[in-house]
Amino acid sequence: MTSSNLVDISQVDVSTLDTSQLFSFVEYRAEAAEEIGYSEYSYWRSVWQNFIKRRTAVFMSCVFILLFLFTFIAGPIGKYQYNEIKPDSTKVFIRPNSEYWFGTDNLGRDYWCQVWYATQTSIKLSILVAMGEIGLGVIIGLVWGYVRKLDRLLTEIYNILIHVPTIIYMTLVALMVGQSFWILVGTLILFGWMQPARHVRNLVLMYRDREYNLASRCLGTPMSRILTRNILPYLTSVIILRLALSIPGAIGYETTLSYLGLGLGVETPSLGILLRNARNYFLDFPYLLIFPAINVSLITVTFYLVGNAFADACDPRNHV
Amino acid sequence: MLKYTIKRLLQSFITVLIVVTIVFLLLRMLPTDYYFTEEQLMKLTREQLDDQLRAAGLLDPPLVQLGRYYRQLARLDLGTSRRIQNSVPVTQVIGSKIYISMRLGWISLAIAVVAGVAYGVVQAMNKGGFWDHVGTAYTVFVRAVPALVSYSLILILGSRMLNLPSMYSTRDVVRSSILPVVCLSLSSVAGYMVWTRRYMVDELNKDYIRLAKLKGMSTRSVLYKHVLKNAFVPLAQYLPQSVLLVTGGSLLVERFFSVPGLGSLLTDSILRYDLNLVQALVMMYTAMGVVGLFLGDVLMVALDPRILLTEKEGTR
Amino acid sequence: MKKFSRAMAIILSLLLVVGGLTACGPKETDGGKVAGEITDWVTYQTIASEMETFNFQYSQNAKELDVLNNCFDGLTTNDPYGNLIPCIAERWETPDGGKTWTFYLRKGVPWVDYQGNKKGEVVAEDFLWGLEWVLNFAKNDAINTSMPNQLIKGAKEYYEYTKQLGEEAKNLDLTKFKEMVGIEAPDDYTLKFECIDKYPYFQTVTVYNCLYPISGEFLKEVGVDGYRAITYDKLWYNGPYTITHFVPGNEKVLTKNPLYWDKSAKLFNTVTIKMVESTDNAFQMFQNGELHAITLTEANLQTIYRDPNHKYHKNLVEARPSKYSYQIHMNFDKRLPDGKPDTNWNTAIANAAFRKSLYYGVDWTDYLRRVNAINPLKTTNLCFTSFNLVTTSDGRDYTDLVMDRIGMRPSLEKYVRYDAEKAAQLKQQAMEELTAKGVTFPVEIDYYIAGSNQTALDSATVMKNVLEGCLGTDYIKFNIKTYVSSFAQEVRNPQLQSFSISGWGADFGDPINFLGQIIIDDDNAYYATTTTNANNITDPEFKAVFKEFTRLVLEANAITDDLDKRYEAFADAEAYALENALTIPLYYNIPWQLTHMNAYSAIYCAYGGHAARYVNRETSTELYTTEQYEEFARAYEAGKGGK
Repeated sequence: MTSSNLVDISQVDVSTLDTSQLFSFVEYRAEAAEEIGYSEYSYWRSVWQNFIKRRTAVFMSCVFILLFLFTFIAGPIGKYQYNEIKPDSTKVFIRPNSEYWFGTDNLGRDYWCQVWYATQTSIKLSILVAMGEIGLGVIIGLVWGYVRKLDRLLTEIYNILIHVPTIIYMTLVALMVGQSFWILVGTLILFGWMQPARHVRNLVLMYRDREYNLASRCLGTPMSRILTRNILPYLTSVIILRLALSIPGAIGYETTLSYLGLGLGVETPSLGILLRNARNYFLDFPYLLIFPAINVSLITVTFYLVGNAFADACDPRNHV
Repeated sequence: MLKYTIKRLLQSFITVLIVVTIVFLLLRMLPTDYYFTEEQLMKLTREQLDDQLRAAGLLDPPLVQLGRYYRQLARLDLGTSRRIQNSVPVTQVIGSKIYISMRLGWISLAIAVVAGVAYGVVQAMNKGGFWDHVGTAYTVFVRAVPALVSYSLILILGSRMLNLPSMYSTRDVVRSSILPVVCLSLSSVAGYMVWTRRYMVDELNKDYIRLAKLKGMSTRSVLYKHVLKNAFVPLAQYLPQSVLLVTGGSLLVERFFSVPGLGSLLTDSILRYDLNLVQALVMMYTAMGVVGLFLGDVLMVALDPRILLTEKEGTR
Repeated sequence: MKKFSRAMAIILSLLLVVGGLTACGPKETDGGKVAGEITDWVTYQTIASEMETFNFQYSQNAKELDVLNNCFDGLTTNDPYGNLIPCIAERWETPDGGKTWTFYLRKGVPWVDYQGNKKGEVVAEDFLWGLEWVLNFAKNDAINTSMPNQLIKGAKEYYEYTKQLGEEAKNLDLTKFKEMVGIEAPDDYTLKFECIDKYPYFQTVTVYNCLYPISGEFLKEVGVDGYRAITYDKLWYNGPYTITHFVPGNEKVLTKNPLYWDKSAKLFNTVTIKMVESTDNAFQMFQNGELHAITLTEANLQTIYRDPNHKYHKNLVEARPSKYSYQIHMNFDKRLPDGKPDTNWNTAIANAAFRKSLYYGVDWTDYLRRVNAINPLKTTNLCFTSFNLVTTSDGRDYTDLVMDRIGMRPSLEKYVRYDAEKAAQLKQQAMEELTAKGVTFPVEIDYYIAGSNQTALDSATVMKNVLEGCLGTDYIKFNIKTYVSSFAQEVRNPQLQSFSISGWGADFGDPINFLGQIIIDDDNAYYATTTTNANNITDPEFKAVFKEFTRLVLEANAITDDLDKRYEAFADAEAYALENALTIPLYYNIPWQLTHMNAYSAIYCAYGGHAARYVNRETSTELYTTEQYEEFARAYEAGKGGK
């Protein structure tokens, strides 16, 4: 370190200097500006890089995507089409063979197309429901947590709604509105947002009054911007995990509802309905249970593992 | 603290009342024919059906009925069951079942907490090791296999191999409770395992643990004196609620093993439009829910003096 | 870790001890190897059929009646051949061909509490208390009033009177009742009824629970509200069994009434009814030896039947048909969901050729396989009235008379009603006639099932296949639709169904109990007023057919002095209804089972509920085999001839 051309400040009488001597404009260089403002860090790229390090999770998600895609081609490549299968009393309970790849059911109908059709229905249903309830839950949760005035009101509403048994809602909707795929999706979302909303609200409360948010508020940043830019990123990992877990949750819930007769209409087989039916046969004809059960398990395990891996990857603290 | 307790209990009471009111009004939206069995609809004339409804006060406007219900509640009278056990007071219907669900629920909860926490500790100590993977595999398995399937398997294995009774019997409670308890604890063990493991791992990485180890404390005493205690606090918060809620029984397990408990009572009474019973059950479950939350908070304060309830109130 | 597992072990053992304190000793069912009789019978029911009341007068559903019929004795009962035999009444007579009836009661029939302690004796006035309870609106909510209101003098008036009184009617004693209603007890052991008209079958109504006794003393003891909400341990019983243990949704135990008046009756020491979640669980229990009989599900049956080495292969036996006769009831005034008439269907179904094409044009074999997968044709039912209901003086079953007239007999070779040629002709005729009336083909058929009922869906799927396969998709289109909870509320009242399948089981022994349900211009005609909506028919030609049928029925009903003539006339009316396809008979329920009980020894009757009585039943500790059952059936038929 040399001090030859530096002015020893302590020895300079500041009052004698004019401002032009104290500050001077730096010459503008575009490249330099780039260097300072730019960092190699990209949130989503880091997420992605972290995620692909988890081999099992990556493998499972590939399996799941293939499974979902396969539900669309499984029908056409099978020997029987779902909307054409007919009962045939001479063909009941045939075990899987080259003609009936998954065997036949109690009415002598091809099981292959039923399983894949049901898998498709279940995946569609659960993804729609999970996205819907998380979406709605996050929006309500953010507002709930952030707007102080609404907290008391929303907490009370939550306390009341969460305690009315869902089966009462489901019965009423089934009786008054009817039963179909879209009605079920709608109802499940309508009564499923509460848990995620509560979770999000609790997290928002934790981050709301951090210094940088106070600063933002003082600078007059609109609420929507604080919520989406400052707070939401902190919640990504939790939201993803919830999303991943509510997909198997929705499948399980649909199974219970079918068991009670409040699920999908009979014309729309879901994995839940196939499993429910197979219960009556599986001791004698285990294949009727195994095929749908494998699909349910695959979906559940995938989302469990992928969700966990993705949530870890989303946490910025793991990005360094 | 006393003031806070009274305030919380008062709030809880109002919540329960509002929930019951909402359920009451929702139930009144149903067409009245649902109150009858198909056989009754078959054998009684329309006029006779209406006479019955009128006599039961079900044809009055919902708000009039609600007023009457409040007056009834003020006398602590919850009414009688209509379809589950005709004309029997609902308190008696619930009372005869609650203790069966309670016993099964508490035993399985105790097993779940003890076994789950114990294994969670094992997992945390062997993080990444063989026993950790076994635990994770179990969790994944329990989540992946649909409940009805695993119950069927337990039923078959238990009754064929171990010669256990395949349905609950009040005359052989111990033996016949084994399979239902196994089914009940199956998934909750996994739950406690996962959370214990997670909180333990979090705790084990903290600085004070390193310090404790450095100053020469044995791993075992670090584990029991510090880690477990701290890791248990977040779990404990939900414990009172669980204790109360398992009293309500489990729909699937109880149906599956014909356990005459509360589990399927709510569903059954809704599907049979046994209004008084539905209202009483909702009231009970809501009360359990809110009281459980409150007790959870109290327990947390008791376990961890750093937590202050009155301040926390807004953030819970 | 050691400490942990020790703690766990202590806690676990403590919990088990706590649980054990409240338990009683295990109960062993018999496991003897030598074939003998079973003394403690164990059977099952599904949880959905748990009893809702112990009040016999108030119960109206099979789930309660099947149990309570074992607990109470009425005036009469049945034998295995369906004959009416004395019970509390030793004999009875009607001096005027069915208008007034006198029953002479047995002396010394005790009332007992659930533990079998004597509480009193049955006297004639107890029957008055029973009927008063039924007719009193404040006490019984109109339940079970239909039969007495139609038959007994003054019953309807008394019912209306109590309705007007409101709550006050709860305090009524027998004074007003005796004044108004045609029933009296001149002394403790004589009971007299006065009917509205001549009913030659009134004695068979006495197996129905509306005419059962309640002990007057007992009523005084428990009070009106007490009896409404009665529990098994407070009841007074007078039948073969008392209920000694009841856990709702779990099990109930019937124990032999030690003081039962009929010492010759063979009873089990106990009958245990376990409530199971599903038939599948029941099969598990049966295999574990926890049950004595099991009705087989499709899958069980297929497995056992297909595998000759299966341990149960030789034990497959067919149940006896239940008392219900199942038939298709078409809706003659179908509505669309918006409430407007479904003109297309209504015009089509009013056309004789169209109806007959449904009647003759369908080979139901595949559908019957849903009822009985192995012998589908055995379940064939060609008459509306169920068999074994009444017999002529020369021992012929009433349904024989009907089948004579329609010229068909059930066959195990082929489905006899199906006539492809005739059907094709009818179809063509219907299409021509109906197209002229503006009907568009295919005609849509809406068929409703419960949304949660997979069995019903499977059956409906098969029916769709059968109907569309036989009649052609150019002719009809079968739509399976669902309701959530109540067929009556969601489908029948808004008149949405094209047709429905329904089983009718008689309440008393006379064909009018069947045919009277489908006649027009009668408020008591169950199917006509609720299901077929036959009163709303507008097509004059079709209306005339119904009018003629109704006339035939009423004419037959007016014959009260000569029963043979009465049955002949009813058979004429029924044949007329069938040939005009006013209803389409379908099947009897004959499932397969594995059992330790000889069903041919049990009470068997097409009316009332006494078939559920565990009386005089033959059992064996060894499972019965198919051959044994065939032998029982032969012996039974031979015994029948002797009657």
